[in-house]
Amino acid sequence: MMRPEAKQAVPYTPDELARYEAIVQRYARHVYNIAYRMTGNQADALDLSQEAFLRVYRALRRVEPGAPLESWLYRIVSNLYVDLLRKRPRPRVESLDVPLETPRGELLRELPDVAGSPEAILERERLDETIQRALGTLSVDLRMVVTLSDVEGFSYEEIAAILRIPLGTVKSRLHRARQVLQERLRPYVEARRRGWEER
Amino acid sequence: MTLNHHNASRLFSAYLDGELSAPESQAVQEHLMDCVSCREAYEGIRSTKLLLRELPVAEPPGEFWAAVRTPQHTASQAGAGWASPPGGRWRGRRLSFLRRPAWALAAALVILAIAVAPLIKGTADRLHATEIGVDLYVREHALGMGAEPLTDRAYLGLVAGDADLVLAGETPRAGGGHP
Repeated sequence: MMRPEAKQAVPYTPDELARYEAIVQRYARHVYNIAYRMTGNQADALDLSQEAFLRVYRALRRVEPGAPLESWLYRIVSNLYVDLLRKRPRPRVESLDVPLETPRGELLRELPDVAGSPEAILERERLDETIQRALGTLSVDLRMVVTLSDVEGFSYEEIAAILRIPLGTVKSRLHRARQVLQERLRPYVEARRRGWEER
Repeated sequence: MTLNHHNASRLFSAYLDGELSAPESQAVQEHLMDCVSCREAYEGIRSTKLLLRELPVAEPPGEFWAAVRTPQHTASQAGAGWASPPGGRWRGRRLSFLRRPAWALAAALVILAIAVAPLIKGTADRLHATEIGVDLYVREHALGMGAEPLTDRAYLGLVAGDADLVLAGETPRAGGGHP
């Protein structure tokens, strides 16, 4: 493994730096978006995407000019995320129905009613949060496939290449992920079917 | 090609994404026209996909751009995620043999053999020397006793010579005999 402190012996030429800048321009937003949809929070998304670009920077001389980097970059993000989960202790799971103990006594959590009025469902921000939360409940494998397909718009073949899994696995994981999400987002899916975007 | 509910429902996502072969796609289409419950299920999958497609692209904060443009200043978390860039050779390969368990086991065995060999040889030599030492002591003592006036010389001769007492490692003398 290359040591993190290792630096290139000869500083990059202006041409090489320009090539790096072009890679940043082309891929950075997508890398961050995928990292954000995978982790569900800004801090982890920043860590992951910055680390991915640090690796691109170090490997710059070994990258063929003009070579498509999608697969490589998104694979780095996916590996980094799995690594992050491995290092991080599992979060404590707590039922939302249990009262919250505070110095002033017990507090009951009031949860937003997802099957509420259509107006409430139409709140864009809340919808994004809800979808993000639903994504977060998927296993990493399912989440990665559905993020690459439905959020980033990659084809099955591209996803198979990025994640190095067979095409059939992409198909089955994606279908499973959509089924789970449909179940978790049922009120929103129903609203979507009623043509909510026209209101 | 005819599909039942189960087979058809497994293909809904791929059908929706245009990732089926022409005959498969045709079969799903025909099944959907005939089957109300499958049409419902398919619509659910389709709406879910549309919902996800509407997620906005997450906008990175300003600090992100500064960090990716000057990556040499970014703190690194060592760990997984290394992979070869397309068309590139990865330097990390030179240490890859250390990650193979078979190689690691072989290396450990060689080191163990080098450390233990002198120890075994030393112990064998010491045991051999002890054997010779005891033989020598008995013979010397028996001969020394010969100077004592009241000693039974015949018995001593028996012990030191006729008993065919030999030094460990020496060839035994035929028929014994006094040294």
